[in-house]
Amino acid sequence: MAQDDEDRRAWFRREILPLEPDLLAYARRFCRDGQTDPEDLVHETFARAIACKTWSEIGNPAAFATRVLRNCALDALRRRKVLTITAVADFDRIDPIDEAPGAQSIVESREELRALADAIAELPTQCRRVFTLRKVYNLSPDEIAGRLGLSVSTVEKHLVKGLRYCSEKLGRRSERKSKVDERRSWSGRRDHDAKR
Amino acid sequence: MERETGSRREAVRQAAALWVVQLDDPSCSDADRAAFEAWRGESFEHEAAYEREAVAWARLDRARALRPGLQRPDADLLAPAGRPRLPALARSPWARGLAASAAMALIVAGALSFGTSTAYATAIGERRVVVLGDNSRIELNTNSKVLVRFKRGVREVKLIKGEALFDAAPDARPFVVKAADAVIAADGATEVAVRLGSDGAAVTVRRGAVDVDPARAESKDDMRLNAGVAAIYDSRGARSRAVSDAEIDRSLAWRQGAIALNGQSLAQAVAEFNRYNHRQIRIADPSIADLRLAGYFQTTEPNSFVSAVTSAFPVRASQGTDGAIRLSRRG
Repeated sequence: MAQDDEDRRAWFRREILPLEPDLLAYARRFCRDGQTDPEDLVHETFARAIACKTWSEIGNPAAFATRVLRNCALDALRRRKVLTITAVADFDRIDPIDEAPGAQSIVESREELRALADAIAELPTQCRRVFTLRKVYNLSPDEIAGRLGLSVSTVEKHLVKGLRYCSEKLGRRSERKSKVDERRSWSGRRDHDAKR
Repeated sequence: MERETGSRREAVRQAAALWVVQLDDPSCSDADRAAFEAWRGESFEHEAAYEREAVAWARLDRARALRPGLQRPDADLLAPAGRPRLPALARSPWARGLAASAAMALIVAGALSFGTSTAYATAIGERRVVVLGDNSRIELNTNSKVLVRFKRGVREVKLIKGEALFDAAPDARPFVVKAADAVIAADGATEVAVRLGSDGAAVTVRRGAVDVDPARAESKDDMRLNAGVAAIYDSRGARSRAVSDAEIDRSLAWRQGAIALNGQSLAQAVAEFNRYNHRQIRIADPSIADLRLAGYFQTTEPNSFVSAVTSAFPVRASQGTDGAIRLSRRG
């Protein structure tokens, strides 16, 4: 059972998480009226996707994830007290995405390295110092606390702050050509039937 | 999923990030891990948020490739002011040649030199002062060569040949001298002389302090040298000793175009002169090689050195077949 869970999480890490920039771009199209936060749609999409026990039967994770996101958007629409015309119109207009290429592993490149360095450099001074010692020099929180004269909990606080900043930033940038081809027309009947 | 859910999302991600940080701490206890399992088991939202932060955390490990080739951690390595190379990274020719993977980047960090490095060299008998963009100074002795490269937040100077005095100006970026496979990292404002030998180098710290890492793979050989300490490292290992100011000044007499001898052997003195002159001096008779000398000689005046030697010792000078000055025992 524990191994099943690990496999399921590994699948999520490998196939779903790298889609975040694309999913976010897709989610924005459902949120033009400003009533729904696209980040929340992606957040909920992740929670639903990782819950999928039949992950091994999914042949096209990108199509699966966009379908889930569309369902999240539909649910958000249904929860609304006031429906805006734009929201409904948007929903009808936006096609689900199918036949998207499968998730690729994150490309390790100088751009990646540069993005990491840039993200760290943008942190507030003390946070950046703590983060640099932890991630670049691999010092433990105890060692960092001793070196910078901080408490371990303060070091942790800086690390959480730095991680949150970097994970948001990394989740927004696409390292490859977008998988979500906006011109691609919907072609899968099963997607259409998924929720409606 | 209304507006206030954004803060809920953030709260979950914050909690996930804290777990990621704590679980990666070597001092994380079993109780902490159990508490994490309980938290993660509460919802798929928690589980997914944890995976998201954990993946970002792991991805950031690649930042280790940014670590320069010196042992001392620098918290300000990625400080915005200290990394003028990053904005240029995408454009500069050497960046374009940077290997595709972070692991490769780690290797090439010390090995590749593309367009951004500048070489300064002196011919035999020549001296030269180079003032770098950060106000650091390099004084090159005779027949010497350095390669200056400010890259990825590190001021790196490689001593390729000969001898030089490095005057490192204080800067957020580390100042590193590479010589004979060793990495010499200046700590703040530092004046350090480095001279290459046949299979190693001699390092003399005049001001400030340096960390010397002779074999980059073996950090246990690290040496910290303060002002007034000279060290030699070569195939036999590394050793250091305290040196007086007068001794340091004598070793740097070349800055005034001189060789200061204080009990060196004739063989050593001759080898020293030969660094500065095309016209070489040879000791033809091993029995005079160990004569001891003291004095102050102009590097470019081997003839006056030779006449001092021949007048003070039973040594005869003659013209060798190859144009060199031959020294042999007189009488």
